[in-house]
Amino acid sequence: MIASIIKWIFIVFMLVVFMLPVFYAVVSSFKPLGEIYNYPPTIFPKNPSLEGYINVVEDYDLLTYLRNTLFVATVATVITVLVCVMTGYGLAKGTFWGNRPVNRLFTMTMFVSAQVIMVPLFVVIRSLGLINSLWGLIIPAVYTPTGMFMAVQYMKDIPDELLESAKIDGANEWQIFWRIVFPLSKPLVAALSIFSFTWRWNDFVLPLLVVNKRSLYTLQLALATIQEEYGGAEWNTILAFSTLTIIPTLIIFLLFQRLFMRGIMTGGLKY
Amino acid sequence: MLRSLVRTRFVFVLPGLIFLIIFVAIPVASVFVMGFFKWNLLSPPRFVGLENFKMLLRDKWFWNSVWVSIKLLLLAIPMQFFVSLALALCLYKENTSSKILRAFFYWPYMMPAVAGTTMWKWLLSYDIGLLNHILRTIGLSPVPWLIKPFPALFSIALLRTWGMTGLLMVMFITGLQNVPQDYIEAAMIDGANRWQRFWYVVFPTMSNTNLLVLMTAIAHTLRSFAGVYVLTTGGPGYATTIIPLYIYQTAFTQFRIGYSYAASIVYFFIAFAVAMITLKFRESRS
Repeated sequence: MIASIIKWIFIVFMLVVFMLPVFYAVVSSFKPLGEIYNYPPTIFPKNPSLEGYINVVEDYDLLTYLRNTLFVATVATVITVLVCVMTGYGLAKGTFWGNRPVNRLFTMTMFVSAQVIMVPLFVVIRSLGLINSLWGLIIPAVYTPTGMFMAVQYMKDIPDELLESAKIDGANEWQIFWRIVFPLSKPLVAALSIFSFTWRWNDFVLPLLVVNKRSLYTLQLALATIQEEYGGAEWNTILAFSTLTIIPTLIIFLLFQRLFMRGIMTGGLKY
Repeated sequence: MLRSLVRTRFVFVLPGLIFLIIFVAIPVASVFVMGFFKWNLLSPPRFVGLENFKMLLRDKWFWNSVWVSIKLLLLAIPMQFFVSLALALCLYKENTSSKILRAFFYWPYMMPAVAGTTMWKWLLSYDIGLLNHILRTIGLSPVPWLIKPFPALFSIALLRTWGMTGLLMVMFITGLQNVPQDYIEAAMIDGANRWQRFWYVVFPTMSNTNLLVLMTAIAHTLRSFAGVYVLTTGGPGYATTIIPLYIYQTAFTQFRIGYSYAASIVYFFIAFAVAMITLKFRESRS
């Protein structure tokens, strides 16, 4: 009984600590500029206003950043999923010479942390002429070790007999892939798509390295940049901006919560 | 030739392999080669042997970044470990309220780091922040969260804990659920109370989970970047410049590319060691 009371006090306390920053930022984003710099601070806005939100759209070109981010996230996701499914199939069911070493090479990439290679990655992207291009945010992001790992694990479970019997029926390798393997991979494709989209939506390091033209900024890069600029955005604008960028991830998360929690146990890593 | 590549399904691996080579293997290889060169991206690289590494040994700002990373780990890891373990103990049972509550603690991990950090920055601001207002109201003096070196590093540890707890909590929950029920029952028959059951039976039984969580926490905290960049940009001074941030600065504000690669090599071995230990626990667990 007492233990259960202590437990709930702890849970409620932690809940307040965990949700306070988000809650306070979201309610503050509806404060007019005068109120935001008031002391003592108000919790709920006295005169709710959309000032911050209007600024984000009008002065800070939210729609351009949104368009860039959506383009990058969508195109990168499509290519990532396709490459992951193909590679996963090839690695799990391939009979080529050197299959095992190649497989190990793919696994090893899980241990290269993105921060170690961020500078040489910039040099590679630069020599490919992709600096200040949205493709510079898409192509280098296609290879994700976690996605590859998930794909290989999934493909191992497809029975060999199924592929053999298709072959006996006269299907060639491409037909087997498109007609049998791909349709069987729907759960994998769904999981990869959701993960990849979220990773690209949240990404900050790659845009920071690749893009320095304002018209090519992604949402997260723009949000970080407007805070740094001399005489930059006001707090209500910044908070409105943050609120808007977390909404899509919130929706995706609420819809696919279980997937993310299960993803932890297989991948456990963030790319 | 092509037919045999198709038949052996090598063609399917090819796109992935090309991406891997260009965007992982070449960068990794170039770190290990160009770390021995002096290079500023503009003039051609010049071979200098071990010069970069010698300079690194004498570079007090590099050692500062190593030290800051260690301090951050010392502050953040115990916090992350105990908060997520305590929450996992409260929420490991599979019922509706646990499932809903887990989502609240997990959500910060899902949130874009830049947006989440920005929200914290607002909460922590010295003059108008809510946290300092609460402190003033209860009669304490306000804390310069992001202005003075120690509270700034502590703020980052706090923020990393906020962001990581969800991930670690779910790992702990899985560990707790895998503890054999008969162990606990046996302890109950022997008259162990709740605390004794946890401390002598449950906690040691899930030692692999504990180590896995610990290593995951270290790996993720070691490579924080976006959050630190947004919250303090390494400041005040160099008080929160952790290793990845230092590598970024030497490359992109000082244009000492070869030198930053040398620092990356050192960092690579630290990160790799952490990853290999993690892998060992992951394997022995399954």
